[in-house]
Amino acid sequence: MSALALLQSAELGSGTNQINELLAKVKPDFVPGWAVPLTAVMIGVGLVVGLVSVNAMFGTWMERKVSGHIQCRYGPMRAGWHGWLQPLADGVKLLLKEDLVPKGADRVLFVLAPALVLASMLGAMAAFPLSHGFFFADFDMGVFMILALSSTTTIGVVMAGWSSNSKWSLYGSMREAAQVVAYEIPLGISLLVPLMLAGTFNLIEASEAQSGLFGMNWFIFRNPFMLPAFVILFTAILAETKRAPFDLPESESELVAGFMTEYSGIRWSFFFMEEYAAMFLFSAVAAFFFFGGFESPLTHLLPEGSVAHQLAAFLTITVKCFAGIFLMMWVRWTLPRVRIDQVMTLGYKYLTPLALLCVLGAGVWEALIAPLWRS
Amino acid sequence: MSATTKYIQNVVRSVKSTLVGMKITGKYLLQKPITVQYPDERLPIPNRYRGIHYLEQEKCILCLACARACPIDCIEMDAIRHGKELEWISFTLDYQKCMFCELCVYPCPKDCIHMGTEYAFVTFDRSEFNLDLLSFKGMAREAKTRMLEAEAKAKAKEEAKLAKAAAAKTAEAPAPPADVPPAGAPPPTPEEAP
Repeated sequence: MSALALLQSAELGSGTNQINELLAKVKPDFVPGWAVPLTAVMIGVGLVVGLVSVNAMFGTWMERKVSGHIQCRYGPMRAGWHGWLQPLADGVKLLLKEDLVPKGADRVLFVLAPALVLASMLGAMAAFPLSHGFFFADFDMGVFMILALSSTTTIGVVMAGWSSNSKWSLYGSMREAAQVVAYEIPLGISLLVPLMLAGTFNLIEASEAQSGLFGMNWFIFRNPFMLPAFVILFTAILAETKRAPFDLPESESELVAGFMTEYSGIRWSFFFMEEYAAMFLFSAVAAFFFFGGFESPLTHLLPEGSVAHQLAAFLTITVKCFAGIFLMMWVRWTLPRVRIDQVMTLGYKYLTPLALLCVLGAGVWEALIAPLWRS
Repeated sequence: MSATTKYIQNVVRSVKSTLVGMKITGKYLLQKPITVQYPDERLPIPNRYRGIHYLEQEKCILCLACARACPIDCIEMDAIRHGKELEWISFTLDYQKCMFCELCVYPCPKDCIHMGTEYAFVTFDRSEFNLDLLSFKGMAREAKTRMLEAEAKAKAKEEAKLAKAAAAKTAEAPAPPADVPPAGAPPPTPEEAP
């Protein structure tokens, strides 16, 4: 029996948490029943933390390579093949750096801020399913939870800026606080468009709603208002993840890294991990609600419920997420940073009304025009 | 222009300009980088590059023109004259001072000092920047002495060999008279014949 056949014959089913089920199967009799979900949770936490840190490592390497090649240079080339071990060297450097709390800083808030930022992003990552069967928790309000928890990072950023007792940091966090109101509204409204089509907040169910048509039955192809909604969502995601051209809280050239000015070592790397985790997570949201989630020709070909199908689903969503991250990097090295009043104008005067228009148009299309051939 | 037209125009323009910008950066992304991996590969150095000097010591006549031309006095040289021949002691250039202005090259009457192409010059000790340009060709005093000693030795050896050969010849003196010419040799001319 070949390995592939073995993989395909191992039935796992879908819709239930496989970690839990597998643990329940191998559990010896003397272990109490409540230990199974507890162990599953621990494994889930380990998976989420591992995913966030590996993603941050790969993200920094990718960022440096993409920015280097866009500027006609190589980027890191010395540590390993094309510098792929560079993030490891950076990580060791960050761990060994002096952990500094400036004199005059509010010590409690200063120490708490990066932890809060990273913790809220880790909490949001819990709603990200790795595949149909492997997830931390199957939230019915998955995307709602992602939006809610990831906007909590703003509180951490404001805390960091205030407690640093530095003008750069305070300016950075004030900008973040001003900016958050401008982009959270279009972010939520533009997500309503695919939510109308999916009819669910659940990420896995949204992915299942896009199955069929050889794995290419994605929401973005179903409705003419999906593309403008995606553009609005992508713009809002750039602001939410504090990426250029909306990296006003950080703005290294004018505010000397903004709210991160006073941070060093491992605490600084927490902010960095949060940024890359947010990029990954919001790319995942865009992938789940616009670009088919787990659905691709690869997942379509494999029999549903097999281990190979799960692996294909994981591969598909990872590739889609990194495509989104690459797009963000590409935009970052294309557009210059906008002013804070331009962010306000963009958020309030352009993105919000256009997102509302998209919702209206998509609703009318779904109610009146789509039933003509979808009956 | 009405406010609505302007609004729509703004949206179209910003989307379009972003796409144009992304097209340009995308083109650069796919292009080959123009930088080089420095220690492994280096950009070609132009012919008239002003790097570390090199000296054609056998042409130099110790006229001190280069040392006098140097605006910061970083060239020092010393040699002993033996008639036309020079016994070199030192020709040093202090690269802590040198600013690579090339002013030492032009006054040279024998055209023997040049600017080279070597530029990466790193040491662990400052004193090593006081570079002896003679050391490349090994004509410093010690080298000269060593050379003379070696020459004298070789000469002595040669003389000893010759003496030995002569002694061997005298020992072999009652050899048969050479009146029979060797085969293939031209016949003796009448003048040579006794």
